[in-house]
Formats: sequence, C-alpha cells, structure tokens
Amino acid sequence: MTDTAVVYQTHDVPQPRQHGKPGGILRHTSIITGTVLGVVAAVVTYAIGSHFFVPWGTQNSDASQVGLNALIAATYFAWVIFFMIGIGAFAGPIRWALGHDLTHDDAEYMAGKDQGKWRYWKYTTDHKVVGTQYLIVSMVLLGLGGLLAMLIRTELGITWMEVFDPNFYNSLIGTHGIVMIIALIIVVTGPFGNFILPIMIGARDMAFPRLNALSFWLLFAAIPPLASNLFLGGLRDGWTVYQPLASQAPIGMIGYQVTIIVFAFSTGVASVNLITTSVTMRARGMTWNRVPIFVIGVIASSVMGLVWFPMFQYSQILAISDKVISTSFYNPVMGGSVWLYENLFWLLGHPEVYVVVIPGTAALMELMVVFLRKPLFSYKVAIAGFAGVVGISSIVWVHHMYMTGWAPSAGYPFMLSTELISIPFGFLVLVMLGTLWRGKPWTRLPMMCVYAVVWDKVVGGITGVYLSDVPVDQYMHGSMFVVAHFHYMLMGAGLFAAIGATAYWFPKMTGRMLDERLGSIGFWVAFFGFQLTFGSMFVAGLQGMPRRVLQFDNAFNISNWLSTIGAFTIGIGMLVFLYAIITSWRSGKPSGSNPWGGKTLEWQTETPVPLENFPVLPVVTGDPYDYGVPDPYDAVLEADKQPAGVA
Amino acid sequence: MSIDNPPTIEVDQPEEPTNRPAADHRLKEWLSRGYVRRIIVLSVIIGLVILPLAWLVIHFMNLTGAPASAIMVEIERTMFVFTVVSAPLMAITLAILFYSLTGWGRVTGEDPPMQESPAIRTNGTAVVLWIAATSILAGFLVIWGLVELATITSYANGSTPANQQPNGQKAIDINVTGQQWVWTFEYPDQGAITTDTLVVPIDVPLYFNVTSKDVVHNFWVVELGIKIDANPGAITNTGVTPDKLGTFNIRCAELCGLHHAYMQTKIKVVTQAEFDSWVREMGGKRTV
Repeated sequence: MTDTAVVYQTHDVPQPRQHGKPGGILRHTSIITGTVLGVVAAVVTYAIGSHFFVPWGTQNSDASQVGLNALIAATYFAWVIFFMIGIGAFAGPIRWALGHDLTHDDAEYMAGKDQGKWRYWKYTTDHKVVGTQYLIVSMVLLGLGGLLAMLIRTELGITWMEVFDPNFYNSLIGTHGIVMIIALIIVVTGPFGNFILPIMIGARDMAFPRLNALSFWLLFAAIPPLASNLFLGGLRDGWTVYQPLASQAPIGMIGYQVTIIVFAFSTGVASVNLITTSVTMRARGMTWNRVPIFVIGVIASSVMGLVWFPMFQYSQILAISDKVISTSFYNPVMGGSVWLYENLFWLLGHPEVYVVVIPGTAALMELMVVFLRKPLFSYKVAIAGFAGVVGISSIVWVHHMYMTGWAPSAGYPFMLSTELISIPFGFLVLVMLGTLWRGKPWTRLPMMCVYAVVWDKVVGGITGVYLSDVPVDQYMHGSMFVVAHFHYMLMGAGLFAAIGATAYWFPKMTGRMLDERLGSIGFWVAFFGFQLTFGSMFVAGLQGMPRRVLQFDNAFNISNWLSTIGAFTIGIGMLVFLYAIITSWRSGKPSGSNPWGGKTLEWQTETPVPLENFPVLPVVTGDPYDYGVPDPYDAVLEADKQPAGVA
Repeated sequence: MSIDNPPTIEVDQPEEPTNRPAADHRLKEWLSRGYVRRIIVLSVIIGLVILPLAWLVIHFMNLTGAPASAIMVEIERTMFVFTVVSAPLMAITLAILFYSLTGWGRVTGEDPPMQESPAIRTNGTAVVLWIAATSILAGFLVIWGLVELATITSYANGSTPANQQPNGQKAIDINVTGQQWVWTFEYPDQGAITTDTLVVPIDVPLYFNVTSKDVVHNFWVVELGIKIDANPGAITNTGVTPDKLGTFNIRCAELCGLHHAYMQTKIKVVTQAEFDSWVREMGGKRTV
C-alpha cells in the first residue's frame, strides 16, 4: 500500500459502520433479474399508462399522438431504470445510504471473485470483466452494423430496381449509422481502456469500480430501445435525425432519443472514471513523462467525450420534450429553430470523430514500438498532437453546417479552424513515421494494422482537407464523397486500429494467441475490400451522387457496383476475422504472459491476470519505451563530442 | 581525453565547443545514406503517380457535365490546387511507409525479435521541418480557401468575373420551395409564373430565395456548383450566373424522408430569346 493509507490509519479516521453479515440481495442479482424486472416494469408502465395517457378513441388527433409518445418514452425509461435496479446497480449505494457499507467479502463478491464465467452476466466491478464485456458488446454491435451495411450495399448495387421499401431503406442507413457510431466510440476505450489501462498504469482496479460496471450496464440497457425502433417504424432519418424531419417519424424515434440520452450517461460515467484512474491511480514512479502513450490517448478521448457528449444528449432531451410535452424547440411553425438542433448535434458530432480515432491511434503507437523494438519517436510531440486535436476539435463543428444557410459568414473562421486541425493531426502522423524510420518491423498482424491505418489516415486526411474548404464543400456536401471520407476516418483509421489493438492485447485478455494466419487473411481481405468500396465511392461523390438515396442516375452505376463488390469483400474478411477470434479464444495456442516482449506494465503481470492484477504493486523506474540500441550514426558523433561534453 | 592532459575549464567561453560537423556537412552525409536516397526516389515516383489524380478528380467531376458557371470553375480549380499542393507531403509519407516495410530489414517468426532497432528518441530537425511544412501547407490552404470563398460569394451575389461580358442586367429572382418531394420554382418578376423545371437565360445572374414547406431539403444545382439548405420557416439565399447552354441536374442533398432519392429535377439554361418566349408561353410578363 502507499504511504497515504498508512497516514490515514495512524490518525484513526472514523470508518463507516460495517455491521451485518456479508450477503443480502446483492448476491442474487444478475442480468436475469435485471431483464425480468425491466421487462415487467416496461409492460406495467405501458399498461397503466395507456389507460391514462392515450384516449384510444381519438388516435388521429395530435393530443393522442403526444400521449402515445409520452407513453413510449415512459416505457423505455421504465425499462432502463428497472433493469438497472434489477441487476443490482443501486444495491451498493442504497446500503451505503442506509448506513452500512459493503463488507470486504461483498466487495470481493462484486468484483467477481471465484464465480467463473457467471461473473460476466452480473454487475461485476472487476475492470477486466467490464473490459471483456465491452469487447463482446462492441463486436456484436459492429456485426449488426455490418449486416445493415451489407443490406444498404445490396440495395445500391442492384441499380435497376428498388430492393427494399424506401422507408425500410432509410431505416437501414439511420440504424447502421448510429449503431456503428456507438460501436466505434466504445470499441477501443471500452475493452482496452477498461481491461488494459489500469494494469498498464499499475493499478489494482479502476478508480470507481462500481461506476465502471454502471457505465457498461447503462450501455447495455440503452441498446434494446434502439433495436426496437426497427419494429416501431424504424429510424428513417439518418443517424443525424435532423429536425423537423424527426418530428414526422414514427414512434420508433423515441427509442433513438432514449438510447442517446442513456448512452451519454454511460459515456460520461466512463470518461470520468478513465480520467480519474489515469490521473490518480498510476503506480509509484510513473511520472507524467513515463505514462504510456495509450493512456494519454484515452484521457484525450475521454475529455472530449465528457465535454461534448452532453451537447448531443441535450439535443435529444429537447427533441424528446418536443415529442412528449409538445414544446417546440425545433418546430419552425411554432417559432423553433432547425439550426438549434444542428448546432447542438454537431457540437458533439465532430469531436466524436476524434473520440473514435485518437484512442485507436494511441493504441497503435503503443504497439508499434514493441514490434519495431524502437522507442516512440518524439513522445512530447505525440502529446502535443493529442492536446491540439482535443483543443481545436471543439471549434470546428460548423463545418458540417456550411451549406445550411445558418450563418454564411461563419464559413470563414470555421474554415480556418478546420484547416488548422490538420497541423496537430499531422503531429500524430509524424510520430508514427518517425517511429517507423529505420526500424525493422516484426511483421505480425498488429504491426500490419499500423501500415493499413497510416494509409487510410493519409487518404482520409487529404480528402478531409477538401471538405473543410467551403467552396469545395459547396459541391461535396451531402454527397457520397463525404460518406467515403468519413468511412476512411472512422472505419479505416478507427476500426482497423481497433483490430490492431485487439490482435495486440488478445493474448493478455484471453491467455491465447490470435490465430495469425486466419486473422491476417481476414484483415487484409477486409482492408482491400475497404479500399475498393470507398475508393469508388469517392468517384461517385465527385460525379455528384447525393448520399442516402436508393435510386440514382445511371451515371453512378459503375462506381456503385464496385462499391458493392468491395462491401461484400469487407463482409467476408470480417467474418473470417471473427471466426479467427472465436476459434482462438476457445482453443488458440496459449500465449504466456508476454508473447510480444512488451515493456509496459500489463505484460509484466501474469496471464490470466489475477483479481487485483499484481501480487505486489509495481514501482516504475524508467520510461516504457526503453527499446533499441544506440544509433550507430550517432555513436560516431557522440565520440567526437565526448571531450567537449565532459569539459 | 587523458589524465596527463586534463581539460581546462574556460569560464568566459560563450558557447560550448564542439567537434560536431557543420550543418552542410551533416546534410551531405545524411543525403549520402543509401536509404535516404531510395526514399527520395520513391517519393518522387509516388508523387508522379499521385499528380495525375488532380486531373482525374476534375475528369470525374465533369463526367455528368462540364462546369456551367464561374463558381463551378472556381470549385474545380480549388480541388485541382489542393490535390497538387498536398501531393508532395502525401508522397513523402507514403514513401516512408512503404519503404519501412522491408527497407531497413524485417523480422518474421513467432518469437519477439532480439535484434533491436536504433533508439531514436526524437530529432529536432525532423520535427521542426515537419511542423513547418504542414503549417505552411495548412496556411496556404486556408488563405486560398478564404480568397476563393470571398470570390464565389461575390459571384453568388451577382457580380461576374472580369473576363466575362459585362452586363448590367438585373438579376432574376427565383423563389425556390422544397416540399416532400418536389421542387417548385416561382419567378416573381416574370408575373409569378411557377414551374417544376427551372428555365433560365444564359449569362444573367440568378438569385435564389430558398425555403421549405415541411422539412429540411438541400437545393443542389450540381453542374453550377451551388448548394444551400431549404429550411422551413426561414429563407436562405444563393445565386449563380450560368454561362453554358444545356440541361443540368438539381438534386436534393439532404435526407428528407421517403422519396428523397427521387427529389430531383432539371435546370435548362437557354438563350435570352428562348427564355423570353418560354415566359410568354407560361403566361408571364416580360420584364427584362
């Protein structure tokens, strides 16, 4: 233990009373009690509410529509709240409020001690369990989003007919969008920020283990409302759900709004937890210039999420209030403003891209030093790059609104800030190139992801430079070019980096090596499919094809056929990769505790990682990138300098 | 340094004496390294491969019709310039990326490599050069963009480029109304005639007052390079002077519900005489 704990004990700080036996209701809650209580509460709310809120004889009047909206919203919120109660999220705080704290046994029980696989289905506070849960959920979401993407490309590839009903098609693009956005926000910080980061900084757990479980289960509770909209008319308005189009939407829209509101709580809780953990829980000796770069990346991403997610949440709170209590924040007929929604939405909407890209980039920086056996090039420039991106990302959102007519003259300052963000973003590219410089790569899958991601970043970055320019955006805005560009950033730089991170930390999380051959085949098939899909989508955009359409001019046929072929190639590649993950997880080669020869702390503890990570808390005496041999070229210069230096 | 000859400490010495070779000598030595030369050659090759992209971009943009207004010409020029100035940095980045795959050697196999690479912690020269290069590039793009934005804004407001015929013609006002899922165009000065296909005279400034009856649409005249949201409860403005005869595309570029994909129409740019007779045909009055 640290000195601080000793000091407290000598002063005999009064502890909360710890009476009572260990046990109680805490030990009987799980996903089953949560789901049962949530579903029951939702059904009861709906049944009771439909008596009071909705006069059934007048279904077509506005009043009944508002009543129905309120009823659906209440039902969803009942599900979320009672699911959380049922799974035991509040058992700890309630006991605390009643004057008895959890006993040590209870705390260990909550951390999942000696419960085998069952602990993954409970409100478990162990960060390793939460990280694994996040990994599974993000893969499920990515699979669902990918499936929807295949359907979208099917429609767009079959150019001679409408395969789907236009309403269903619009639901596909909206649901694909928001599912993928949620999946990508959690795909690096969720699994690796929770599982790896505390070990990496030499902590026994996160700073707030119960909040950690809370953030995951809030995310879990937020998914059914989103998924259910497919049965309640669909999310027909794109993931942006611009107003007032959203006010015409069927009641499924409420599901989207509830999901965003709950998910924002989940993100906020997770961000606070990650930041606090990184700041306060570092091992002794891990000064700020010895912190692994992945930790810095997670902090940067969490800061952006913490600051800007409430804007997105607020935009949906106002939207749901328009729906259920007939306010008119966004209703122009009643004096509301559509631009208010667009501003609130894009205040998160743009930083969100960096929330996705930065932790992935930081993970790649973390792993490339191991595979190159070289220190990270210019650690401080990397930090400056993250800081610069975080700072500038908060003043660029209006570039999504150049063509809305909201404030044409705002184009000038926001073009300036948007072009400027390429400078700190360039720092990150410099760090990666500098680390590659004169290194001998160990060409395993995680390292190859670095090459793939730098390529995608170059393409996505250059096309982003076009879009940040107002005159060019006047042509490109709302076209397929934009779609291709942000897929290069979110999927090319975000998801492929997450694949690299998964391949790298898979041995630590599962104790087994990821099948190198299958994993690589899947990855490269997906990568080249990706280039085909979105490379030709750039062409469709340049030709003037608007996005979110299901029928279009024959002029765009060829590029769409190619895109569809590419998309199915991605699908095949991802399935192979998924198969590699599943088989390796079940029966892969045992990895040992440090298969890559890494020097950061997570590789120094045993695998599988014990409950409190380290038998003895480590003390850090050096920086994590102590790789490499003296540069032979420098050695010559150093020898020359020696007399002067000593003098 | 030896014991017989201990170093003397000179207090007044302004700078640390060093045997470091002069900067130009170091540069020469650096350029003489094999890998540096190969990366430079690779950069040039990649650059030469990338540059045709600039033409390709314009080619694709013109596949559905050549630019039909000065605004579109400026947009294409900006695309071209951006591609050209980004190419060197892109080429160097990709050259280093590709070269590092095998250029300095590579390690395969199951076990972590024992052979370590040089411990290059940082390099002040490289960092400064990179930051300077990206900043100059970004600065150039910003300045170019600001000037171009001012230019196309002035074109949109009716002024015509100096190299075109001077005209003192009054701009034609057109009220554009989007509704799910059609465009309606009204000519208030021509006797308030309405149409769902735009017909406009060549070389006359057009001024659009754009609004919507229901949800947000986006009025995009593709080959003329103008685009503005049609918002309910607000009027947004844009303008353009078409300078090419022909039929061009108008598409909705903002998801507006069920038949968003079909919310498109045409704009016919005709001669003044044809426009006048079209106005008469539609029952409007000639005002120009």
